[in-house]
This record gives sequence, structure tokens and C-alpha cells, in this order.
Amino acid sequence: MGNEVKFMIGRIYFAIFGLVVLGIGILEILLGLTGRSFEWGIMEMSGEFLLWRGLILFFAGAFYLSSIKNFTDIHQLAKVVMGSVMIWIIAGVKIFSMILESIPGEEGWLNTFEGFLESYSAPYIPSLFLLPFSLVVLYYIRLSGEMSKGGGDER
Amino acid sequence: MKLTVDERWDLIDKITKQVVKYGEYKYTLKDAIAELTVKPLTGIPIAIAVLYGFWAFFGAFAGFFTDGFFVKLFDNHWLPWLQGVFPGKGGWLYYIFVGDPKADNCFEAFGVLTSGLFVAIGVVLPAIIAFYLFLIILEDSGYLPRLAVLIDTVLHKIGLHGFAVVPMILSLGCNVPAVVATRTLETKKQRFMMATLLAIFIPCGAQLGIMLEVIPEYVGLVMIYLLAGFFIFGFILNKLIPGRSPEILLDIPPYQMPIARNVRRKLWARVKSFFTVAVPFVLLGVVIVNIMYLTGFLDWLANLLEPILCGWFGVPKETVGPLIAAFLRKDLAVAQLSAIEMTTYQLVTSVVLVSLYFPCVATFAMLIKEGREEGLKGVLQYLFGSLLALITVVFLWGGLVHLIWIILGVA
Repeated sequence: MGNEVKFMIGRIYFAIFGLVVLGIGILEILLGLTGRSFEWGIMEMSGEFLLWRGLILFFAGAFYLSSIKNFTDIHQLAKVVMGSVMIWIIAGVKIFSMILESIPGEEGWLNTFEGFLESYSAPYIPSLFLLPFSLVVLYYIRLSGEMSKGGGDER
Repeated sequence: MKLTVDERWDLIDKITKQVVKYGEYKYTLKDAIAELTVKPLTGIPIAIAVLYGFWAFFGAFAGFFTDGFFVKLFDNHWLPWLQGVFPGKGGWLYYIFVGDPKADNCFEAFGVLTSGLFVAIGVVLPAIIAFYLFLIILEDSGYLPRLAVLIDTVLHKIGLHGFAVVPMILSLGCNVPAVVATRTLETKKQRFMMATLLAIFIPCGAQLGIMLEVIPEYVGLVMIYLLAGFFIFGFILNKLIPGRSPEILLDIPPYQMPIARNVRRKLWARVKSFFTVAVPFVLLGVVIVNIMYLTGFLDWLANLLEPILCGWFGVPKETVGPLIAAFLRKDLAVAQLSAIEMTTYQLVTSVVLVSLYFPCVATFAMLIKEGREEGLKGVLQYLFGSLLALITVVFLWGGLVHLIWIILGVA
């Protein structure tokens, strides 16, 4: 598969992904402003900083969508990277806090095994579901790096 | 050996040939990202994400140590043990060192060895470590100078420039090094403005840690209110204070991975400074407030200030104790507020007042020291100028919170 095709696939992928991220961002902003929460299966939109998380996802989605035009340009790729970094920040601190919360127990110093496992159980915030999909950007960073080493003509 | 001008230039050429590589610069992804972080349209959303990360990390890290371990250690082991072994229950010495004999937690006991140690080690220390760790990573990665560029336009409106963001952010850790950091600003006007504004409007990391414990759901609102005050009073001060606000050129380093050893060293230096500067004041604060309480001075002062506290600010007269403690340590004062019976709105107003009220004694000493650089006139200018700004702000901005509650119908 040529690099042009790979970048075309990337463009479509991040357009769809951007729309999803933007949509979730808007929903979280609305929920945050109205003080409501929303649960769908194992996904939950509630809690502290919901409005801020929504705002960040909204901007991340906007970054993805604004990068589709002229996708192969390095400035556009930078937007995709930053959109992904914004998702990583939300998901990263959530995972970090889940790990920290799982260690101390309710009464004793350390958590019981059941309590430890329970800390990682559902529901999860949307960014945790978006995290693996955002990692696709790493492939494009590598691809872009290889192309610039090879002269970048193919772009 | 003395070289002629030509010989010197020849030597420069020789060295340059050996150390400088010439070629076409290739624009990389890192450069494009660096550009995105300083352009307002893309830079502001990124800054919001970074600040969210900062805040969420701060809360998770501090909460892990405080709620997960220190609360249990102090409330379940240290306090009962101390209450059992300390001699002279009910006496003055007991009250000063252990506090209320009926207290079942260290927040409310208010003794030097109970609340004093708990606040300093159990609450503030994890908050300080979390804050400085994240700040150092931002500094060393090269993001902080970009934030300075990003905020430059806004700060110009109040007569400061982008680099004022350094003392501003440092101040969120501790106001003392932040006042020292105002030296990086060019003019006397800028230095005075920045030192005054941060001493009044920016809560330190210790205070933030306690606020997260006492009013977690309102910390965001309090911060927005204080930040709004920072810019409004900054704008006014800029119009009132004579002097220049020159432009600056900023050299922005490239993004890079922070080096673990540097992070460790910087973190240690800053935490050590917290221990030597802040902890003695926390303990001293508890002693002084307890003595004032035992001698009846606090009650007398509370009655004297009741019309202002209850009428103008809408808070109970008992807040006079924390306001005195705030002069020594603001974190201690917020902790003390949590033990007073009042409504949520009164508690939020009290926390805002404690933040605005006099800078802690360590910051105050530093303000005088900065003024001393410019002689006795400088000391007086810093002292009276800051005091005047402070009294005005406390009455206007503190009273405004009460007015907001009245308009909302909750006060």
C-alpha cells in the first residue's frame, strides 16, 4: 500500500473519529452546564470537572476535523497529535487516579483484593474508550518521520 | 597572549568551522507542535488541557497520601496515643500542644502536635510535592515559556508581560519564591504590581491542598473569582501606578524530555525550602492562636470586629481566629475555618477572605526585603502601597461575594 493511500485512510479515520470526539465533547459540556449525568452501558458521563473534560474533548475533536484538509501537511499532522495528546491527558490522569485509589483500603492501610479489583470496574469515562483509537496517531507520526527521512517527495 | 583584531576574527572563524554545522534546516513535527502551542486559537485549548491535567494530577496525588494514609495515621493512631500519654489533660500546655481533649480528628483538635503536624505533613506536604513535580516537568519540557507567550497579550492589558506568568504559577506553589521571581520583570512598577497582586489574589499550594479537603466542590469557583480579581485590580493598579511597562523579547527553548535527575534535584530543593520556611510558621501559628484563645483575646477581638465580619462580609464573628492565623499560614487558617459552624456560602466567603486577607508573614517579610533593594523609600512604598491595595481589595472584593450571595438569595 502506498503512502498516499495510507494518508487517505488516515484522513477518513480521523474525520470519523473527530466527529465522535466532538460529539462526546458537546454532550459532556451540555451535561456539565445542566448538572446532569448520563450512563450508557459501561460508559458514564458525570462527576467533577465534567464541563472541563467536555471542553477539552470538544477542542480535540475540532483539532481532528480541522486537520482533514491537506492531511499530509506537517502542520495538520501536528493538530492530530495535539488532539490525541488532549485525550491522553484526560485518560492518563483518570488511569493514574484509579491506580492511586485502588491502593489504600477503607479501614486498613491497604485495600483488600476485592476492593482493589472493584476500583477498576465500570463505569468508565468516555476518554478511556477514546484512548486506544487515538493511539493510531503514533503510526502516522512514524510514517511521517520515515517519509521526511526519505526526502518527503511522496507527500 | 594579546591578539590583534584580525587575529581574533581568524580565531573565531577557526572555532566556528569546528563547532558549527551548516545545512538546510528541516522543519519537523516538533516545530509544528511548538508553533501550535503559542498560537492563541490552538494554544488556549491546549493550555486548558494542560491545566486540567495539572489540577487532576494534583488532586489525585495529594488525595492519595492525605486521605489514603495520613488521615488514618493521624486520626486513628497519633491523636489517641498523644491524648493518652500527654500529661495534664485540660491544662494550658495540653491545650496548646494536643488541643481539644474531646476531638476525634486532627483537623479539629487544633494543637501544635495534632493539627499543626497534620496540616504541615499530612495535607500540605503531598500537595506541595504534587504541585512542584508537575511544575518542574512543565518548566523542563519547555512548555512554560510557551504559556508565557500565549498569555502575553492578556497580561499586557494590565501592564505586565508574558513572563509574569512565571511568578504567577510559582505563587500557586508558594508566594515566597514567587515574590523573589518578580525580579525578572523589568521595571519597578511591574515588580510592585506583580508582588502585590500575587500576594493578594493567588492562593499558595498549601492553601489549595487544604481547600481541596474542606470545600472540594467550590475550589474552581473560588479560583475563578480570585483570578477575575487579579485582572480587574491589575488593570486598576496599572492605571494608578506611574511607571513604564516595556515590551520584551522572549527566547523560547525547543521542546525536550525532562531529565529525571534535574527534576529530582529541583523538587528536593523546593520541598526542602517548604520545610524550612513554612513548617515553623504553621506550628508557631497554632501556638499563637491557642494562646490568644486561652487568654480571651480572640473573643474580645471577635466581638470588636463583629459588625464588619457579620454585616459587611456575612461571615460568623468566630472567623476572626482563622483570620489571625492567616497572617502566619493561610493553609492553617482554612483548616481552622472547617471547624467553625457555618453555611456553605459563609464557608466559601471565609475561604475567599482568607485568600485575599493579608499575605502570610513569610511573604510579607519577602515583600519588605524586595522593597529594601530600593532603600528605605522602597520599603515604605512596598509596605504602604501593598497594604493600601490589600485593604481596598479585602473590603471591595470580599464584600462583593456577600453581595452575590444576597442577590442569589442564599445569604
